[in-house]
Amino acid sequence: LPAGLSQWFPALEVLDVSGTGLTEMGTELLSLPCLHTLLAKNNRLGGPGSLPKGLEQAPLARSLRVLNLSGNRFSEVPPALLQLRGLRSLSLGGNRLHGIPPDIQELHSLEFLYLGGNFITAIPPELAKLPSLRYLVLCDNKIQSIPPQLAQLHSLRSLSLHNNLLTYLPREILNLVHLEELSLRGNPLVVRFVRDLTYNPPSLQELAGRTVKTRNVPFAPSDLPDSLVRYLSLASNCPNPKCGGVYFDSCVRQIKFVDFCGKYRLPLMHYLCSPECSSPFSSASQSSTSQSESDSEDEASVAAHRMQKVLLG
Amino acid sequence: MEQPVQTETWKARSLEELVRILHQIFAEDKVSVDEVQALMESYESNPEEWLQYAKFDQYRYTRNLVDNGNGKFNLMILCWGEGHGSSIHDHTDSHCFMKILQGNLKETLFEWPEKKGNGEMTKKSERVLRENQCAYINDSIGLHRVENISHTEPAVSLHLYSPPFDTCNTFDQRTGHKHKVTMTFYSQFGERTVCVSTSCGSPH
Repeated sequence: LPAGLSQWFPALEVLDVSGTGLTEMGTELLSLPCLHTLLAKNNRLGGPGSLPKGLEQAPLARSLRVLNLSGNRFSEVPPALLQLRGLRSLSLGGNRLHGIPPDIQELHSLEFLYLGGNFITAIPPELAKLPSLRYLVLCDNKIQSIPPQLAQLHSLRSLSLHNNLLTYLPREILNLVHLEELSLRGNPLVVRFVRDLTYNPPSLQELAGRTVKTRNVPFAPSDLPDSLVRYLSLASNCPNPKCGGVYFDSCVRQIKFVDFCGKYRLPLMHYLCSPECSSPFSSASQSSTSQSESDSEDEASVAAHRMQKVLLG
Repeated sequence: MEQPVQTETWKARSLEELVRILHQIFAEDKVSVDEVQALMESYESNPEEWLQYAKFDQYRYTRNLVDNGNGKFNLMILCWGEGHGSSIHDHTDSHCFMKILQGNLKETLFEWPEKKGNGEMTKKSERVLRENQCAYINDSIGLHRVENISHTEPAVSLHLYSPPFDTCNTFDQRTGHKHKVTMTFYSQFGERTVCVSTSCGSPH
């Protein structure tokens, strides 16, 4: 960036330096007090110095709303970027990212996040701590699973997951009340009923923990070591409506299919507390395929109908 | 449409001229597919002429009506943000011309699924269409998915459908199952049309 930029254009609000071969953006950015949009796509940014030092104290940290760094060479999200607390829209599409830093949660004003076309393998649960996120693009990556915490993204309206390595989704995805668009094509989603039979028997600690929780055995924090008090607080409720049970570490994974809009059937992963705790219908049928495949939980169907535009095929 | 005895070689020097020539062509009883395709391709995209119709949406591609061809055809501009794509769809027995005005679009052709299809749909071919190229499809050729695979550039395309239609079928690639959808316009003649969406609103 040319030196003296902020002297010539002190009122600069939008700066587009896309396709200029930039390898770094320096301190000239720090003295632009009104800059809200910075477009720097298709450059050679990605190395040290891509973003200037001292960003945290600069007015830019509060003023910048839109940042487009797509088509560059970032192999990781630069820590300096996470200082841009006012950021609403961030694009790092078409870079070389292998992951998303948990500190992405620092960008608490983020509404639009485009990370398509990278090499991302996993999504940190901290991504779900972005309360205003409406549009999340993760297509064309190498993602194998979606953390169930993503269901906490209450504002999410559109989620793009096509062309990844997903075999199923967490059932919690149905909790995304405002989700209207979901793209899932190009994933090896399982199409047949799958039941994970590798059920590790629960430990004595787990069995004791389950009993304490389900029988409401009273205890005070002084009765138990801190570690066990913490352990007891981590109990998960079995989603089987006919079971009031809980589980800690030992659970059965089961994939159930849920209808969306009456057209698509998505495989959702359920964690159940024991093999006996499967779908209410499974005990009635001998073969575990066709009967269970046509199941939909009532609550799931209602949630699924909320999602109007599911891109599967 | 059948082949007339003679086909003209048109050169549209502006979008306005393109529309005018299209009206002329479609006023006849018989229209040649090749003639229309060549005409569409002859127009060299000039953003100044179509920018007013190119309204983008953050979440998905948009359909913006440019001209309704006296009922004979619909001419519209589609705007595709980065990563935006359509589902696999048919064309309700109509002819479909698609010309790239800006950026690139990937077109993947599919075979029609079997009657009681319950398997993965068969891909026929795929190609990336470049600026000013014009593709053609109709139901006898097959089905297609169109997508902007770029993560950095938006794309804009000019579509002509004859006869006009507002419903089509979308197909699930994994099973071949089809579902009828109604298509809506994001804008018409350059004006944003706000409509209350009922259910799934586009080949999506």
